[in-house]
Amino acid sequence: MFDYTFQWKQALAKLPQMLDGAVVTMEVAVLSMVIGILLAVILTLLRLSGSRPLAAIATTWVEIARNTPALFQIYMAHFGVASFGIHFSPFVSLLIGITFNNAGYLAENFRGALKAIPDTQTRAGRSLGMSQLQAFRFIILPQMLRISFLPMTNQMVWAILMTSLGVTVGMNTDLYGVTQDLNALTFRTFELFAIAAVIFYAITKVITLGARLLAARLFRY
Amino acid sequence: MKTLTLTAAMLTATALAGTAQADKLDDIISSGTLRCAVVLDFPPMGMRDDSNTPIGFDVDYCNDLAAALGVEAEIVETPFPERIPALMSGRVDVGVASTSDTLERAKTVGFSVPYFAFEMAVTANDSTGIASFEDMKGHTVGAVAGTYEAIALQAQVEAWGEGDFRPYQTQADVFLALSQGQLDATVSTSTVAQANVQSGNFGGISVVGKAPFDTDYVALFAKRDDYGLLNYLDLFVNQQVRTGRYAELYEKWVGGELPDLTVGGVYR
Repeated sequence: MFDYTFQWKQALAKLPQMLDGAVVTMEVAVLSMVIGILLAVILTLLRLSGSRPLAAIATTWVEIARNTPALFQIYMAHFGVASFGIHFSPFVSLLIGITFNNAGYLAENFRGALKAIPDTQTRAGRSLGMSQLQAFRFIILPQMLRISFLPMTNQMVWAILMTSLGVTVGMNTDLYGVTQDLNALTFRTFELFAIAAVIFYAITKVITLGARLLAARLFRY
Repeated sequence: MKTLTLTAAMLTATALAGTAQADKLDDIISSGTLRCAVVLDFPPMGMRDDSNTPIGFDVDYCNDLAAALGVEAEIVETPFPERIPALMSGRVDVGVASTSDTLERAKTVGFSVPYFAFEMAVTANDSTGIASFEDMKGHTVGAVAGTYEAIALQAQVEAWGEGDFRPYQTQADVFLALSQGQLDATVSTSTVAQANVQSGNFGGISVVGKAPFDTDYVALFAKRDDYGLLNYLDLFVNQQVRTGRYAELYEKWVGGELPDLTVGGVYR
């Protein structure tokens, strides 16, 4: 039995604050994606490097990122490292947690994409006089990013939704944090969360549509 | 045949009237169980003992209320942010969850008269040298998100114009962050501060003084339109004080001088 009177006016009055929060959410998500993609490329290179210790570092990263809850990773980035005297603000902790997670997942996506690219591509590049790194940079990487473009869009959406875990490390400026604060203040739980859900939906929809347009432009040929 | 129709009609009418009249209070009594929302990471108001059984002032208070109603008490663990969803989705009947009776919240739920009152205390990390509320200016401070003290402290940090405020989700996280040095100081209810400092789970922190916030009166809550139940809760709170049970529970869980639940010069 659900017995609740919706009072939209009171909740909608808080919309500007929630939209400010949405901007912070976007900031965290975009930053974590940009850094995450760079890190994932580096992790992929480490795995390809042929050096066992380097590959082991990359494998360990991916294993932890993929096989433990994101909540745990964010919590550790705040309270875990603090046990060693390293203090990060909630914003940075959240960013580190999500980026760590993003990099792990994206590295796996990239690995999958690489498997779809035949070795002969590298050899063709080498035969043209490119170094190993040049062949990767000019021939493999563009194809790899193209193949993993859709999973990357997925990961971006996931990153946006993951910002909601920031409340566990004292984050109150992102969309979910703002909503939770307003909820505690007014007790208008269901209106506020409904509004937040609509904003989250709108953001992810814009991201996926944007990605589709970008893909249409990038992958014309 | 006519009598039969008449009887049937009367029976239906009685049944309809019966359901229309039964309110939440009747529902609780007839169901035989009173389900209370209690926050269990808020010692000494709500916590778990070594065998994981819920204990604390709020737990005892719920048990007393159930006993008064002649039903079994069921403690439903409810974190602070989930108190309202728990009530609205019908998972609990009443909140015994150290809930501050703010006017903003009273637009959504119905509050009884206050059943407990908190003084606010400042707890600081020993290495910061913070010795009073004013010393917190310019430091990184925090409290449990959405609590009375968090709202007041955040406003104070903004008024000071320097320093940072961080809300954490649980009281345990606040004291963990404080003992790790992520927070320099916190404001919490004095009972909770004492309980956590004495627990020995968090090193290097001490209660250093009082915070100049108004007394935090907390009330039982139920759905806004359950007048019968709310009326009963008011009388119950009154009876707890009258019979000396309030003083007894206060001595058992908190100790020291009993706080006054009334405000001089006004009703309610």
